[in-house]
Amino acid sequence: MIAIRQPWQVTFAVTLALLPPVLTMLDRNGNAALRVLVTALVVSLIWELIFTRARRQPPSWHGIATALIVSVMAPTDLPLWHLALALSFGIVIGEQVFGGRGFGFLNAAAVSLAFLIFAFPGTVLPEPGPDLGYATLPGLALLLALGLVFWRVLVALAIGLIAGFAVVNGTAPEPETFLAALFAATFLVADPVASAATQAGRWLYGIVAGLLAAFFSATGLASAVVFAALLAGLVAPLIDDIVIRARTGRRSARG
Amino acid sequence: MTGLPDRLTRPLIDENPITLQILGICSALAVTTTLATALTMSLALTVVISLSATLISMIRNHIPHSVRLIIQITIISALVIVMDGLLRAFAYEMSQRLSVFVGLIVTNCLVMGRAEAFAMRHPPGESFLDALGNGLGYSLILIVVGTLREGLGLGTILGVPLAPMLGLDGFTTLALMQRAPAAFFILGLLIWAIRAWRPAQVERPEYQLSSEEEDA
Repeated sequence: MIAIRQPWQVTFAVTLALLPPVLTMLDRNGNAALRVLVTALVVSLIWELIFTRARRQPPSWHGIATALIVSVMAPTDLPLWHLALALSFGIVIGEQVFGGRGFGFLNAAAVSLAFLIFAFPGTVLPEPGPDLGYATLPGLALLLALGLVFWRVLVALAIGLIAGFAVVNGTAPEPETFLAALFAATFLVADPVASAATQAGRWLYGIVAGLLAAFFSATGLASAVVFAALLAGLVAPLIDDIVIRARTGRRSARG
Repeated sequence: MTGLPDRLTRPLIDENPITLQILGICSALAVTTTLATALTMSLALTVVISLSATLISMIRNHIPHSVRLIIQITIISALVIVMDGLLRAFAYEMSQRLSVFVGLIVTNCLVMGRAEAFAMRHPPGESFLDALGNGLGYSLILIVVGTLREGLGLGTILGVPLAPMLGLDGFTTLALMQRAPAAFFILGLLIWAIRAWRPAQVERPEYQLSSEEEDA
């Protein structure tokens, strides 16, 4: 197994995993998608450059991954300044205020997309089709192999989705639902920065995200997973804390 | 020894009650959806804090130590009731929009804080300037936040539409700005900007990265 040691290797692997979904999106939407993609890349790289310069850190390219995730999920007909503002917010408030990628506790792309929906109420994220799900599979396999996505989170997410749909609709979700949610699940929910860091915590985190996504799904699956990722990411540190306390408490009781 | 003019100017930026001491946040969040409400609230608070600090300072040597908080609150609440009554009488609509927040100036940490920490120990003139400075510092932040939230969230300033003035036709307002989280974001960015400008305000970090992690 290849060991990931440097931040740029993470960026490279995630970007590689994102290429098939991005190509699918470009193929489906053509030039409209291209202008979203270019804007997103320019905005995120500018912010990363400004912050790494100001903090005298080595240059970071992770903005590329954030930009690609957002451009796959954002509507292609949105005004570009909406996109630029949302990405700026996600990258600065969701990531750079904490010190950059890996220092925060939220996924910058999830913050950007949530901002887009909240700040501009007319924005509707396009519903992902099964083709996006299939395009996610090779990247998912790569990230699982490299340990950049946790299988426990994804399995727990599926369990949460099934349980949530059973409560809301009284039926299990269609197989297409899982496929459609796979992109956001892989890159937003299972992001190692946003996920819980303990093994038991990852199960709990995934289930919370799945339940939330099912409860929100009436307004569209794409935005449901975005908000589920955001809220689950907010409680992930709490979940970790509970898990660690429970374990150290048990240990000290034994000792 | 701090000079008298400093008493007035220091609370504006260097010792700003909201951005440095993080006091009076609840009202700063609640009343800043429009500039008009922010201005009214600023005026009400500045009047109450200046008068209460002056009055308390004048009788500070006669206040028994054990009941000083009760006396301070009595004076502050009397002034708040007068302020609230004036607003209802002359600006009824505005007093409806501010709802309970003028009444809640009684419990504003800022007003109590200046009375207890400053006016109890300083002569009236100095206390008045200190309280006025704090009131203006609070007002400054409220006005900045209110201007941004109304301008971006409703596209107006004091009810006047901005888009035609600036020649922006396709301007869509940011609905987020009218919601409470936006006030937090703006306040946070403002504190960030001020502390980048005045590094003396930066708090010491509670945790340090171990040197091992820094080297890696």
